[in-house]
Amino acid sequence: MLTESTVTFIALGAIFAFSFYAVLNAGQLSLGQAGFASVAAYTSVLLAPDPDVVGDLAALLIALVIGMTAGTVAAVVLGLPTMHLRGVFLAIATLGFAEAVRIFLLNAEWTGGAQGLSVPKIVTPAIAWVVLAIVAYWFWRSGPTRYGRALEAIREDELAAGAMGIDVGRHRLGAFATAGAVAGLYGVLWAYTVRLVAPADFGFTAAIDGLVTAMVGGTTMFVGPVVGSAFLTVIPEIQRALGVEAGWIRPFVAGLLLLVVILFLPGGLAGRIPRRIRVPDLDGRGSGSGSDDGGSSDDGADLRTREHAPRGDVVARLSGLSKDYGGVHAVRGVDLEVRSGELLGLIGPNGAGKTTLVNMLSGLVAPSSGTASVLGVTAGRAPVHRVAAAGVSRTFQHSKLFDRLSALENVLVGGHLVTRPTLLRRLLWLPSARRDEQAALTHAARCLRRVGMLEAATTRAGALSYGDQRRLEIARALAADPSLLILDEPAAGMNQVEAGELAHLIRSLADDGLAVLLIEHNVGLVRQVCDRVVVLNFGEVIATGAPSDVAADPRVVEAYLGTEA
Amino acid sequence: MSHRARVFLAATAVTVTLAACSSGGTGDGGGSLVGEGTGADCTIGSPVPVGAALSLTGAAASYGESQRQGLELAAEQLNARGGVEYELTVEDDQTDPRQGIAVFEQLTADDGVSVIIGPTLSNGGFQAQPIAQEEGVPVLAISNTADGITEQGDYIFRDSLTEAQVIPQTVAKAKEVYGAQSAVVMYSNDDAFTEAGYEVFAQALDAEGIEVAETLEFSTADTDFRALLTEAKAADADLLVVSGLIEAAIPLVTQARELGIDVPIVGGNGFNNPQLMADAGDAAEGVVVGAAWNSASDNPENTAFLADFEEKHGSQPDQFAAQAFAGLMLIDTAVRASCSGERDAIKDGLGTIDGVPSVLGELTINDARDAEHEAVVQIVEDGTFTVLD
Repeated sequence: MLTESTVTFIALGAIFAFSFYAVLNAGQLSLGQAGFASVAAYTSVLLAPDPDVVGDLAALLIALVIGMTAGTVAAVVLGLPTMHLRGVFLAIATLGFAEAVRIFLLNAEWTGGAQGLSVPKIVTPAIAWVVLAIVAYWFWRSGPTRYGRALEAIREDELAAGAMGIDVGRHRLGAFATAGAVAGLYGVLWAYTVRLVAPADFGFTAAIDGLVTAMVGGTTMFVGPVVGSAFLTVIPEIQRALGVEAGWIRPFVAGLLLLVVILFLPGGLAGRIPRRIRVPDLDGRGSGSGSDDGGSSDDGADLRTREHAPRGDVVARLSGLSKDYGGVHAVRGVDLEVRSGELLGLIGPNGAGKTTLVNMLSGLVAPSSGTASVLGVTAGRAPVHRVAAAGVSRTFQHSKLFDRLSALENVLVGGHLVTRPTLLRRLLWLPSARRDEQAALTHAARCLRRVGMLEAATTRAGALSYGDQRRLEIARALAADPSLLILDEPAAGMNQVEAGELAHLIRSLADDGLAVLLIEHNVGLVRQVCDRVVVLNFGEVIATGAPSDVAADPRVVEAYLGTEA
Repeated sequence: MSHRARVFLAATAVTVTLAACSSGGTGDGGGSLVGEGTGADCTIGSPVPVGAALSLTGAAASYGESQRQGLELAAEQLNARGGVEYELTVEDDQTDPRQGIAVFEQLTADDGVSVIIGPTLSNGGFQAQPIAQEEGVPVLAISNTADGITEQGDYIFRDSLTEAQVIPQTVAKAKEVYGAQSAVVMYSNDDAFTEAGYEVFAQALDAEGIEVAETLEFSTADTDFRALLTEAKAADADLLVVSGLIEAAIPLVTQARELGIDVPIVGGNGFNNPQLMADAGDAAEGVVVGAAWNSASDNPENTAFLADFEEKHGSQPDQFAAQAFAGLMLIDTAVRASCSGERDAIKDGLGTIDGVPSVLGELTINDARDAEHEAVVQIVEDGTFTVLD
């Protein structure tokens, strides 16, 4: 049943599926891979030396290098103008590219048109599996690195990933280029396997084949594409071996099996494989410098450290900051200073413009007028990840966790800015990579412990209770070792006890020297912990001062309770 | 991990169980493939395994299905004749190179067939036939018309005429009958078969001194040709030459007549299908088709074939069915030549075929292992193909 070609095609199918996995894992749906593969196949067939002259293996190796380069270049050229597209729009744009390539190949003089070019057969099952092993190795080793986690974070929530300091555009383009390189490998292997490279083999059907293989296998585990390809390649073989009559019944049965897999295993065949992540043992570390009460200042020398502004320095200065949405003035001419070590409360009725204000402060929204200068950057003009890199970290009013990642992984992503890139060193198994990953894990575990969630480290973020999700967001924001921490309604949905613990935590952060900006509806909580309170109504600051003074201010009372009729 | 293991275990278990249930394997031939007697008296003990790799599903499914019908009819008639029994295995390559290659590997290895028929498309032929060549299994291509198919090796034969054997004759005939001086050429450029056909048309038109007023390209998926046909009409040529598949031929011919293009339409092998008259109706009248198979031929083999096919399958055969039918008959001739169903004997037998009567006419396989037989130029008249004089 398993003939030579079946074994080869399992490997080829898996490699092609990996080119979809590369982008799906980063949350992008691209259908251009067949286009990259055909660009690579034709380029290498035309440019690679004759196997009769340099030998089979040498010719194939050169062809693979050419193909990988061609695939990458094609992906970058396509990626630069299309990377701002999302979801179905990116899929359509990339599909358009693949179709354009196909039409070009059909009509160009040197491609042999629909009849294609003849290619010597060089690829053996062993060669195909060696290339597959290399590709799989890349995805295996890159998964648990700073780069790999950043891609997963982008897949789960792009906005939050950016707020954690991840350069979303660059990472997305990186994933896209990887997809191009892997698709290029596939195109070359395909050509040197089937003896003929023709445009028909890189059409829409091929793209859908690759996508289906990746989805059936699963897009969150690196073995997914291999499992998917084995499954789909073997189905027709099994049917033949069983003596199912050739004809429509076979594709029909294959279609049904596909349906069953997608219905009952929505994460793909490999989706059930548990993700393993070891939680570092914080207490058992004899050599660790960490004290038992935790804290962000003792994270060891393995992490990048940030120069924090001395207590009392201005970390953020807003002047005349306004935001209009059409005719709605969400924020009007706000002037505000936030200092290190200060816990500043921002309150106001619903729709007062609090969230818009902090969105401008963290760089998510550009102001209509005025400036927000934060830790040396101008928010709104600098991209979100730059603002985060300057030392601004935040939580969101509605939890924006990376739902399919564990709590610990969420916090690891939060540590993006303070950990070192380990991808290249992990590929080479350098011990320093292991040390750096360990340091990142320890740092993340400490942040989790600080919010009291170490026990839930391996739980999926999406499966946590609402209150735990709010605390996890704080841990994730803390992991970035920020100078300014923005908390957007962290106590929402918490009970009295939880809120009390939270208040204690927030106060201790400010006492450590952080600047904390707290948006909260719970006026009691604000009065209890804040040094200073700013009250916003209809986008304007109506009061500012010590909590007790502000609470007594008639304008504030009016804003909250309304005037007597 | 354990889950994946379970899936595979389950799949394997199912395979093994069901494979055990499906009775007996294919009868592999030992020495008993060599029989006694010669020619019509030849008797071989065990059945001769014949594999066919056809596109029963996928893009080329309509051709593959015709071919299967032709082969099944031939196998039935040969087995009824006695002496040599043929065990025909029809496999589907799904119009997919991966399946085509896998099927060829299985036919040459496990199943141990003596000869392979197919595959349906020329591109598939270039991808799969070298496997049979390497394994020393003779291949008879029954529908590959591209150049270079038989150049792949001395085990590769074909009974289908190449475009180069049919089209020049068609163009010459059209010039003779209609006195054509100029032509508009249309072809679908995303299909290997029709593209190759176009190239030969272009050469033939040039050789006959017919001026090409306009060359228009379309896609196999197109169904609306009005814009192109308007352009073609404006060129005001004496002929409309089309290299397209039957799926394109029907709407193209219909729309051409609707637009008032009444010059003769000349088509290639793709047009040689009774569906043209069935679906295009009156519009098909006057369409000239160069073909490898003269469906109107009154030679005894063809007359019987038309009647038997109609009886077995309830429809009229097309060229693909005729070539498939002729293919298995030729294999029978080759087997009986030395009364052996072994691979090399069949290979030698196919090489010696010379002037054998078949539904395609008297057929010879030349030194290049290509078929030679009379091609025919037909015209649609009163809803049937008749020879154009």
